[in-house]
Amino acid sequence: MLELKSLACGYNLKPVLQDIEFKVNDKEFVGIIGPNGSGKTTLLRVITRILKPSKGEVFLNGRNIWQMKFRELARYVAVVPQNFGGVDMSVEDFVLLGRIPYLERLQFFESKMDLLIAQRCLSLTDTLKLKGKLMSEISGGERQLVLIARALAQEPKLLLLDEPTAHLDITHQGSILDLIKKLNKELGLTVVMVLHDLNLASEYCQRLVLINEGRIYKTGTPQEVLNYKIIEEVYKTVVVMEKNPVSSKPYIVLVSQEEREKRRK
Amino acid sequence: MRRNIILLVVLFGICAVAFYFLLKLPDNSARETGFSRYPMVHQPKRIISLGPSITKGLYLLGVQDRLIANTIYCVDPPEAKNKEKIGTVVEVSIEKVFNLKPDLVLATSLTNPKARVKLKNLGVNVVTFSTLKDFNNICKQFLELGRLVDKENEAKEIVKSAENEVISIREKVKGLHKLKVFVQMGVRPLFAATGCYFVNDYIEFAGGINIAKEAREGIYSREQILKENPDVIIITTMGMAAEEEKRIWQKYETLSAAKSGRIYIIDTDEITSPTPQSFVKTLEDFVHILHSGE
Amino acid sequence: MRRKVFYWSAWILVLFCLLLTVMLFSFCAGPVDMPLKKILKVIFEGRGTSEYSILFDIRLPRIILGFAIGGALSLAGVILQGMFRNPLVEPYTLGISGGAAVGVCLNIVLGLSRGLGIISLPICGFLGAILVILLVYSLSIRKGILKIQGLLLTGVMISFISSSLIMLIMSVSHTEDLHGIVFWVMGSLEEPNWLLIKLALGIAVFGLAVSYLFCFDLNAFSLGEEEALHLGINVERTKRLLFIVASLLTGFSVSVAGIIGFVGLVVPHFIRMFVGPDHRILLISSFLCGAIFLIFCDTLARIIIAPLELPVGVITGILGGSLFIYALSKKQVSLGGK
Repeated sequence: MLELKSLACGYNLKPVLQDIEFKVNDKEFVGIIGPNGSGKTTLLRVITRILKPSKGEVFLNGRNIWQMKFRELARYVAVVPQNFGGVDMSVEDFVLLGRIPYLERLQFFESKMDLLIAQRCLSLTDTLKLKGKLMSEISGGERQLVLIARALAQEPKLLLLDEPTAHLDITHQGSILDLIKKLNKELGLTVVMVLHDLNLASEYCQRLVLINEGRIYKTGTPQEVLNYKIIEEVYKTVVVMEKNPVSSKPYIVLVSQEEREKRRK
Repeated sequence: MRRNIILLVVLFGICAVAFYFLLKLPDNSARETGFSRYPMVHQPKRIISLGPSITKGLYLLGVQDRLIANTIYCVDPPEAKNKEKIGTVVEVSIEKVFNLKPDLVLATSLTNPKARVKLKNLGVNVVTFSTLKDFNNICKQFLELGRLVDKENEAKEIVKSAENEVISIREKVKGLHKLKVFVQMGVRPLFAATGCYFVNDYIEFAGGINIAKEAREGIYSREQILKENPDVIIITTMGMAAEEEKRIWQKYETLSAAKSGRIYIIDTDEITSPTPQSFVKTLEDFVHILHSGE
Repeated sequence: MRRKVFYWSAWILVLFCLLLTVMLFSFCAGPVDMPLKKILKVIFEGRGTSEYSILFDIRLPRIILGFAIGGALSLAGVILQGMFRNPLVEPYTLGISGGAAVGVCLNIVLGLSRGLGIISLPICGFLGAILVILLVYSLSIRKGILKIQGLLLTGVMISFISSSLIMLIMSVSHTEDLHGIVFWVMGSLEEPNWLLIKLALGIAVFGLAVSYLFCFDLNAFSLGEEEALHLGINVERTKRLLFIVASLLTGFSVSVAGIIGFVGLVVPHFIRMFVGPDHRILLISSFLCGAIFLIFCDTLARIIIAPLELPVGVITGILGGSLFIYALSKKQVSLGGK
């Protein structure tokens, strides 16, 4: 589905990403992880055509995304941003914005179909009850769900998320990721998600791509990628590896320096 | 990119010229060069004046009964205040003027050109008088005014008598010592009476030297005045501002005019809306100031 | 959804009625007193009389021009505020009015209208506006991307430079030229050339039609440029086209009518408080509201101290500003000080 070939890109003269080579297959759930400043967000921006790569190409189902029309791309790929930064509007109106790629030039009103799709997306994310409220009136967690609903309204095949759980508490972190997992399994949506929380990435993602200093350090299953040697090397911090008692997925435990020193003695 | 920009500019230039010719066709704007020579309306009975000097002139010619409206600044002679008002010297109520159905509208070069064009488009007879440059100009315009209102002979007489008086005054002061004069037309900013304004004639006919004669239009430098060191300074503003300006000049100890105490204030109205007659009167005042050491 | 269409149609109807009312008011009011009965009589029977001329040759052109300019400036304001996502942006922020003003000043001082006729005045203004537009545009393009913040800053700087240039020109000009410049700058809906008025009307309506092609683009823009791109909007092309539309609307309006402030800034904000941020309704509402506002202000300017006329910019500033502050404070109270 998605393929990045020999990609390099940067801002002005500084290269941020180099030698990026990776593939995402249909219906996969891929997580992009890496330390701050490694280039995760830049990677996302290259995939969504915000940044132009200085070298290499991005292919979507074999087609170079830079040769596609914007609308075409938008009907295929949807991006869920970290937060909502726009003018205040009702939740329903906001989700309907996701139908823009499907509206014709001279069509001024959304069709019945568009409205139904929007409704469906709201109910998928369990936010139908918030339909009439303003974006500023709902909580952070609810807002994130609405952002996802809007992305879904684009009827994409590929869903990209940029740190969807960054500002949320445990309750919402879980529910949102569960939702995304459900969308991936039941609707067959391919998901590529940038995450900073390694344990969440481990728990939910099928495959992980670890980026460090602008290059792909390792890709593979969570078990392959998340071992303490690699983590120490990339994140430059001492950790203890455990297993999630329920899912047996790798689990990273951070121990404070104080405790470590106590242990040593 | 640069080349595209230049290309675009050229393109727009061409479009602008094209537009100009396109839009010019139905437009009958007059050529403002002195007087617009319109076919004279015989004995215009309804006249509107758009300038104080024109109003004064009309009263002088004795046709004030035919004057139906003027500006709010037409206060001389005092009866002019009672006429219907149609605006200021610059902005005119087109509706009102048109509704009064005038035979002749006398405008100045200060009148909003758009208003003038609009009135002409509506079929009103508009004649524009340009700024007065010197005494000759004043007389010429007065004669034209007379011709327009069918009082040509009266105008000729008034002009002749004024010219004669001016000649005699100039004779009188011929041999007298020429003083350096500075006439200040504006206080803040400081504006001088330059050579292209008729005030210059007051100075020269009265036997003085205008230190600002060659100057360009614009704010005059106080330093320059001190350098020229005029013997007489005449301020033509009124009220507090003029008094204050006088005091400022008096502080300059090296200034000839300050030393001899020859700083005068003159009424603005007298000096700025001249008719041939009022010119003579003001000239006499100037002579008095310059040569009787008042 | 049907509710939205209904709500919007109602608003458009209300605004249309208001527009007709204001136009009627402007038609009937003026320094020359004409009671309504007389006006009706004149319309039907009075062809050829001076009253007929007053109504149709003096008042009507002003009303039409007020409609065109008020609509054009408000529309430009909405477009720019949508593009810049900055509430303080208005058509003059881009420096276009400054360019037009300098063009007109040069024309007056060089005496061009004496030789080329009075039509050269708006043409010079428009040339000045175009030059500024090109300048601002070329200075804000980096590698093919139109930087929005760059536009804003460049525009503001050019505004300042233009003001200084105008003051420079004024300080060395003759008294009569000075008057001309000052009165042009103060803005006026008086225009003797019918073709120019029709042109202004055409451009305003054309601008409205073209901007409607981008109503969804503008909606998407409110989320940010990146988000808009994600939604399939060709952001660069849209920015360029909208910039051109807004600039032309502004440049033309300023060339014909001088600088009439506040209409482009206040009207979009004001109407947005009532109809919401969706550009599908906002574009036409702003247009109509701007037209209403300008015609109303112009009428007041004509009758308040008749036969003297106040510059219309004075009324738009005072009235517009006060109305806006009042509406803003009311809204805050009702929303619990949000």
